[in-house]
Parts: sequence; structure tokens; C-alpha cells
Amino acid sequence: MRHSERTPASAILSLAVVAALALAPAAAPAPAASGDVGPTYAVRNCRIVPVAGPAIEKGVIVIRDGLIEALGPVEKIQVPGDAEVIEAEGLIAYPGLISAFTNLFLEMPARPAGQAPEFEGFPQAQAQTTPQEDRFPPGPGLLVLDQLKPRKATVEAFHKAGVTTVLSAPARGIFEGQSVVLNLNGEPLRPMVLRNGAALHINFTTERGGYPSSLMGTIAHIRQSFIDAAYYADRQAQYAKGPAGLKRTAYDPRLEALVPFVRDRRPVVFQCNNVEDVKRALKIAGEFKLNAMLAGATEAWRAAAVLKKSPVPLLVGLDFRPPATSLYATQGEDLRKKAEAEIYPGNAASLAKEGIGFALVSGATSDAASFLKAVRAAIKAGLPEDAALKALTVQPARYLGLDQALGTLEPGKIANVVLVKGGIFDEKAQVARVFVDGVLFPYAEVTK
Amino acid sequence: VKTPRIPRFAIIAAAAAAAVALAALPAFADGGAILIKNGTILTVTKGTIAKGDILVVGGVIKAIGEGIAAPPGVRVVDAAGRFVLPGIIDSHTHIALAGTNEGSEAITPEADVGSVVNADDVSILTALSGGVTMVHTMHGSANPIGGPNVVLKMKWGRPSEELVVKEALPTLKFALGENVKQSNRTVQPGQAQRYPATRMGANAIIRREFEKARNYMAQWDRYNQAAKAKNPPRTLVAPKKDLRLEVLAEMLRGERVARVHSYQATETLEFMELAKEFGFKIQCFEHIWEGYKIADEIAKAGIGISVFADSWAYKMEAAEGIAYDAGYCAKKGVLVSINSDSGERIRRLFNDAAKTMKYGGLGEDEALRLVTINPAIQLGVDKIVGSLEVGKQGDIAVFSEHPMSAYARCDMTIIEGDVYFDREAIVKEREAAEAAKKGGAARGQGGVS
Repeated sequence: MRHSERTPASAILSLAVVAALALAPAAAPAPAASGDVGPTYAVRNCRIVPVAGPAIEKGVIVIRDGLIEALGPVEKIQVPGDAEVIEAEGLIAYPGLISAFTNLFLEMPARPAGQAPEFEGFPQAQAQTTPQEDRFPPGPGLLVLDQLKPRKATVEAFHKAGVTTVLSAPARGIFEGQSVVLNLNGEPLRPMVLRNGAALHINFTTERGGYPSSLMGTIAHIRQSFIDAAYYADRQAQYAKGPAGLKRTAYDPRLEALVPFVRDRRPVVFQCNNVEDVKRALKIAGEFKLNAMLAGATEAWRAAAVLKKSPVPLLVGLDFRPPATSLYATQGEDLRKKAEAEIYPGNAASLAKEGIGFALVSGATSDAASFLKAVRAAIKAGLPEDAALKALTVQPARYLGLDQALGTLEPGKIANVVLVKGGIFDEKAQVARVFVDGVLFPYAEVTK
Repeated sequence: VKTPRIPRFAIIAAAAAAAVALAALPAFADGGAILIKNGTILTVTKGTIAKGDILVVGGVIKAIGEGIAAPPGVRVVDAAGRFVLPGIIDSHTHIALAGTNEGSEAITPEADVGSVVNADDVSILTALSGGVTMVHTMHGSANPIGGPNVVLKMKWGRPSEELVVKEALPTLKFALGENVKQSNRTVQPGQAQRYPATRMGANAIIRREFEKARNYMAQWDRYNQAAKAKNPPRTLVAPKKDLRLEVLAEMLRGERVARVHSYQATETLEFMELAKEFGFKIQCFEHIWEGYKIADEIAKAGIGISVFADSWAYKMEAAEGIAYDAGYCAKKGVLVSINSDSGERIRRLFNDAAKTMKYGGLGEDEALRLVTINPAIQLGVDKIVGSLEVGKQGDIAVFSEHPMSAYARCDMTIIEGDVYFDREAIVKEREAAEAAKKGGAARGQGGVS
């Protein structure tokens, strides 16, 4: 993923840390720092799984002002004098997990009543139906950030599942709008923002009562929209070069919002609910040279040959119910249940075996515990634990273009650290402490 | 030719099913090679061989005759007492798709059914059980101009892209009459009734769209001409690509042909006039219950028809349908096929074709053509399928009786030399599954008591 940088990351981060500190949960120790500087911690005597390299059996992580300052074996790392020491013997430190596709905190406004387009005269030459995202403006230009309402309980639940970072995506229409990446560092929304407008989200959906009302119409509509956006961009460029003698293109907010995705390779995420959606998305991505990612993709293993030919980041969901179109879902309840229990949990394992890269995502659920349970089911179905860990850390960080700042425990990276009693994927794993942007969230008493 | 990976359990599940093996086994891996021996071979185009063999290698028919020896490793099927015929072809159906109509607007040539193929549709297996190896699966009839259609082979268990028959003639669905008039008749408050609401409206809107397409092509021609100049003007602006009009332009350039849902004689003749005016080709009229009234005109225009064998009068515009339609038109020289329009009737197309022997007086061979070589010609694939000839693809059905017999049953369906349907194997698996279930149940009972 190559994003066009807008705001210097450091500016966002320092802001994030400050605000997060001001509003840290009451349970957290009072920040020692004042002004712009966050507290300094030294997490000591824990096992460290940095993901970037081999595990450190007995190590120290120094966190200063929201970032990891240093980490290594106890004998090599000096605990700074100003650091608050967190005794973490018996705990394992992991990078905070990243769920690169969720609808977290999303509360879409209800559809205004009476939005069906009104027509005068009868009958019309041809009912000029309006594409649905225009009926529910602003379509591709929608920033989901404006519709999020963070909840403390949800933040805590995700922390307890080891998740410190999420991408939150919109969830209505074909061109659903643009997502935001959040670092779950408290309750206020703005300090959480890592990247706004992270990706454009497209869903192969339909809606009765307007064009397009069928999947094939939706596919045509998506293709025509990208054609229109590219044409719009070309005309604007031509006009900018020399307006004399040229009629200017009428301003169109919908096309304007699409231009960066069809011209500057900003990421486009296609929701893929079955094996055919995967192929449909790849076709469209290829036709318009989009920087595409596929979300959901619970039948990706069935498209392995195609995915090997055209590698694309997969944001693999862990809903193991066979999609309604699947041959596993249309031949009786016995087969459907068996497929849900035995076949679909093996998706990620198959992809790993085929050498197809992916991230694991929690998707639409806001039940973090069930997400971790599903990860365990995928592991039980053959996904190696280290592959699962990568699919929740370094892989999503890379896909989101945030791998310089997230995804591993390394000096200089954001201090998203999870301290777990037991292996993070163990059934009895207990998340004891979580750092997000260097803000400490203590969840369980640390006993030796 | 690849080995078919038929999920065996799915077949069992469709047949009976409960305790099933979940591994997707290559059930009938023949590698595109098979020798069928001692059957009565109905080649359709090259006569009948009372007792002969047919060899398929690499998916293609290599030899037809007597006493053909099996190359090493090639599976041999004994068809003694049975009938070997080309795979049946359905010229008009809607199976294996995720959605049939883009009915929100009247003109939707951009809505391509080829983009929504669903290879998981169990109708594919149903089709195979009736000897069907190829279908023309189509946009619905809600719109005067629907979308492009797609031709698929019934390769159950294979990925969707392997089903698509690229050699087939590109087609576009049109529709006239009641379905078009009645689509979106009941509207939500504040929603307009969709135009057209009459047959004349349907004709008018199609004309209007072709006028648009002509203008669109002229725009591009002017642009391309100007762009070719040595120093094209800086202010030269390209037209915008329009997916809807692109498809109609293909029609006007003769790169795509019309498949027209029409029932009544009058609207059909009007549409033929319209096609003549704009210079596009009508490949086939669909259902056309009143075809017998204008058989001479249709035959003279070189247009085919694809119809049901019977079951007319299910609505007003079908009231004047007669069972003799197909047979009569065939005798008048019209290229006729019998279609299913259905994921269920598709398994007994051979029965439907046989009805033209009673109603219309066609012979066995003539009747069999209606579901083999004739639809192949209509789909532009008669060079590769539709009859049993050396060099054609090995799409073959093995029947227990002559396929035009009321007692006939399809025993085996083969596509490109690979067995996709084997009745005997399925019955055996089903019995095994049922036995296993019974055993399980007995044990279960013991536990409960």
C-alpha cells in the first residue's frame, strides 16, 4: 500500500498521545509527564515476541512519550532513571494486534424518510433512477470518521482481545465511503486517528427500487463510475494545461472523490462475500489498475489459483458460515453445518499453505472475544500460530502502509504493546496490560 | 484438459445425503480421455452407427467407428445396448447466475450476465443428469434491451472461468410484449411507472437507443479521425466511454447478435423491420408461440427460433400457442431449438424434443437435432460441438434407450472426455451413504435405550 501522505504522522501522533493522556481511564496510573511529553515506562522481565525477530526470553521494553525507545534482553537494556518500572515477569509482550477491517464504532444515521426521487409527469420517457450512493450522499466522498461514536466498553473489549488498532469502514451502499485507521488509545475519537481516508470501500450490493437493482447492474455501475472518474480527471488536467478554447467540466463531487483512487493508486477495498466476488473484484481492479484489497474473502481458498496469478492483499474475515450462494449452503442443513464447522475455518490455513499473503480481520462484529475465538478455530484448522500472529500484526500494518510505525516491537515504533498471561492464542490467555500510543491500560493484577 | 474435481459429497448430498465424506475428491478423473464401446452412436450429422466405438483423447474426439482399441490408461465404458449422442445443448436458460434481470431501467445492455456466473448453482448438476453439456444462460425478459448473455459448459465442480465458452457468438438479450410492459407496473409511492407500458413503446425505446448508439459511434469516428491528424488541435476532447452504448455499437458493427424474447407475430415482424433499418442481426426469437403464423418470413430472414415444446397459454400473449409450433416451423426451414428456460425442465429437454414427433411429425433424427446441432448453430459453436464428429470436443451423453423414447434415461454425461455425471456411481455412493446412516442410527438407538 502506498498512501499519499497528507498530515505528518508525527504531528498526529503527538497530538494523539497528549489527548489520550488527558483522558486516560481512571484506572490508569496518573501520567507522570506534563506538557507535551508522555510518561516513560520500563516493562521488565517479560518474554518479548517482537514479530520482527526471534523472541527474547527475559527482556525489557522502554516506552517513552508514546514510542518504543528501546527493547532487548534485561542484561543489555538499561532501565532509565525516570521510568516507571512495570514488573512483568510471567507475561509475554506482543505488538498490539491490528484488525484491518471492522465497522467499529459505526453508527450510520437512519435513512431520511421520503428520499425516493420524486417524478413529475406520467409516465416518464425513462425513469431516471438515481444511483443509490447519490440517494444516500455523499457516496465515495463519505468519511466514516464523521459517523463514529467510540464506546469505552468496546475499546476495553478489543484491548482484552489484544487489539490496539483497527480500520473502521463504512457499511452502506455500493461506493460506501472512506475508512479510518484508529489507535484505540482512549475514548475520544480524534486522538485515535492514525489515518483518515485510509481506503475507499466498495460492496457488491444492490438495493430494490433504483438502479442498479442487480449484481450485474452493480458491476456495470462500478465500472462506469471509474470510467467517468478517469475521464473527469483527464478533462480537468487538459483544462488546467490551457483553458482557452475548452469548455470546463462541471464540478461533480462524486467523481472528484473517486479521482485519487483511479489516478493516484490510493487503496480500494472490495467486500468479497464469496469466491466469485473475489474474481469480480480482481477483474475490476485489473481493468482500472486499482490498488485493491479484498475484505471478507471467506472463500478465498477456492480462488487460490487466481490469487496466485494476481496477488492482492486479503483482509480475511473469520465468519465461517458458508455464503448463501455456496454449494455448501444450498444442499441441506447437514452439509451446511458440516461446512461451517470443518471447511470454512480452514480458509486461512489453505491460503498460508499456498503462500498467499493475508491479514486476519474481525469484520462487522464488535464482539472482540468471539473474534479471538475464531482465530483459535482457524489455528485449530491448520493455520500455524506464527502465521496467525503475522496476519494480525506486521501483515495488516504493511497493507495499511503503516509498517514504519506499527506491526512489530522495534525501537522507534508506536508503543502498542500487549502483555499477556499465556500465549496470546491460548484459550486461557489473559491480557494483563495494554499500551496504546504509550498509554497504559491495566486490566488484570499481575501475579507471579 | 484438466481433471475435473467433482466434490463427490455434493453429489451425494443432492441425491440423498447425511453422513458424507467431506474431502473434495476427483471422483471421475479421466484426464480428458475415454473410450465408449459397443453403443448405438447417434452422430446427428453423420448418421447412425448401430454398434460402434468412440474415442476421446485430450478432450477431443479422435475416432468414431468399430473395433477401436483403447490407448493405454484410457478408461473404457461399455455402452452395449445403450445410445451414445452428442451432449445436449440448451439454447435458452437462466441457470448458474447470481441474478437474472437488471429490471430497474428499461435499457441495460451494460448489465452483463457473464459478470455474475455462479458455478455453485446445483442446476448445473441437474442439467448434467439430463445429458446437458452446454447452455446459453441469459439476461431475463424484464427489459426491451437487457444484457449480454453467456454460454457455459456444465463443468460441475470446476471454477467459473473454466465454464465459459469463449468461442460462442456474443449475444444480447432483447424482449418484447407483456414482460416488458409489466415490469415495475406496481410502483412504490413517489416512484414513476417505468416506460414502456405498451408494445409500441417497447419498439420506440429500442429505436431511440439505437439512434443514440449511432450518434455515439459517429462521435468516436469524428474524434478518431481528428486525433489521427499530424497536429491534433489542443482543444480536441475525446468522447466519454459509455458501457451501455458500447454494447449497442457492437450490435451495429455486427460483432454481437440479438436474441429476442417475443411471443406474438406482429411485434416479431415489427422487430425484424427495426433490425433491417439499423442493420443488426437477429440470431433467434425466443419462445415465439406465434412463430407458426410467420414461419415463412422467419425462415426467409435466416433467423432461428428457440421454443418450448408445449405448456402454452400460461398468459394472454401465449394464448395462441400450439404444440405444433416447433415441428411446423422446422418443416418450413426455420432453424429450431427446444429450450428449457428453467433449471428443472433442463434435465428433460430430450423428452421435450421428442414431443415434436407426435406434434409436427418430425422424425427421430430431426427431433434430436432440436437439442443438439441446432442450438449449437444458434450459439455459433457448431464447429466444436453439437454432433459426434472427429475433431469436435468430446461432449457426449450415454442414454439407456434412444433419447427420443419416453423410457430413455441419461446414464452418463461427459464433457471434453471427462465424466461429470455417472448415474451408476452416484447410486452406489448414495446406497453406501444410506447404509452408513442406517448403521449410525442403529448405534444411536442402542445408546438411547
